[in-house]
Amino acid sequence: MTPEEKYELFEKYCRQDLSVEDKATLDQILTEDEAANQELKVYQELWSHLDSNFTTEKQQQELKDNLKQIGDSYFNTTTTPKKSKVIQMPKWAYAVAASVVLFFGVYFFNQGNPTYDDFATIPELSMGERSNSNEDAKNVEKVFNAGDYKAAENYFSSLLTEDPDNTQYQFYYGIALLEQNKYANATTVFESLYKGNSVYRYRALWFEALNELKQEKYESCAGLLKKIPEDAEDYQQAQKLLKKLD
Amino acid sequence: MGNSKPHADQKYIEALLRNDSKVLAEIYERFAPKVVGYIKKNSGDESRAQDIIQETLITIYRQATEKKLQLTCPFDAYFFLLCKRKWINELNKSSNKEVTINEGVVSIDDESARFAEETELYAAKHELFEEMFDQLGKACKELLKTTFTIKSLEEVAQKLGQSYGYVRKKKSLCIGQLTQLVQSAPRFNHLKNLL
Repeated sequence: MTPEEKYELFEKYCRQDLSVEDKATLDQILTEDEAANQELKVYQELWSHLDSNFTTEKQQQELKDNLKQIGDSYFNTTTTPKKSKVIQMPKWAYAVAASVVLFFGVYFFNQGNPTYDDFATIPELSMGERSNSNEDAKNVEKVFNAGDYKAAENYFSSLLTEDPDNTQYQFYYGIALLEQNKYANATTVFESLYKGNSVYRYRALWFEALNELKQEKYESCAGLLKKIPEDAEDYQQAQKLLKKLD
Repeated sequence: MGNSKPHADQKYIEALLRNDSKVLAEIYERFAPKVVGYIKKNSGDESRAQDIIQETLITIYRQATEKKLQLTCPFDAYFFLLCKRKWINELNKSSNKEVTINEGVVSIDDESARFAEETELYAAKHELFEEMFDQLGKACKELLKTTFTIKSLEEVAQKLGQSYGYVRKKKSLCIGQLTQLVQSAPRFNHLKNLL
């Protein structure tokens, strides 16, 4: 028997596709030839390995992605919190960034008043663990980070009905409103936050200042900026903006 | 592995199979701290621990899909043992010398150790098979991928414009070639008695 014929028999065996004659031939080979016995075992193992691997390739990838997310959120929330995401830039990007800065520098120099777009940096929304169990939480993360603030507003409305005291929801809800120029609503949200005691207190103050800036209400903007204390995350930016407003 | 009833912690295996985020998050909550603690104590950090945990879970998933893994021991010791040994292997790989680390973090019962060994053996085979598969020619790789993704050989034959008999023959030759590659790999000798 040629190796070709042998492997074809092995293949039929694994596919449970043996005819009566095939089976007799195979049985005979296996009783006479110990090496063929071993070989069939390996062939069968490989067959099952390939079968399982290719059949579940997609699920395996999905599981990997999901575990990565769950792991990220676990390691970010329970242990030393990472301050902010560091995005690796290729070297040429620094050159581009530098020229952009230069361009804006020149641009501002010639312009009068600072604008909202110059100063607003929208933080990334991360719902952590919740996005694994709550559909709305998962969706809002997606749409908010994609810049679809209309959709984000809707999700936050429903999330806040369930959990009205959640300050993270409130803060990002405020940003979603501000991005859509719903100034008055945004003010209500930010105001209640900066009068409260949550971690979002000063961030809300900064964004309410940006809200005023967007409406070109420079005086009230400056008033709010002055309330941002030195140890707040946005203090430097606030000072910079104050200088421009002077 | 025996006919004994599955342990209640079989739910973690099922969660991997169903990609059930809620229970998977519970795995991290309940079992990661011990692994992280161990890896940090032994020249690692959190990010390495995250990788080790994820890779170990994927290995368990693979074994469960292919071999219908049924846990009859608690997940805790089994999982910890796997992560720990994986970490020791990593250290060995990078330092090129045997690293021995004090065992005594948890007491390991025989059952858990047996399950962990089974999974490690599975992982070792998996790795060998993948490496050998990589050595196959492009044509074989593609044919195997196609025939195992599309189960029906008739369909594959039609797609490739070949006869059924031709496809089956080619496929069996490719797996035959792979069989020979595996059998001639030096590492195979350690594994072969365990198949």
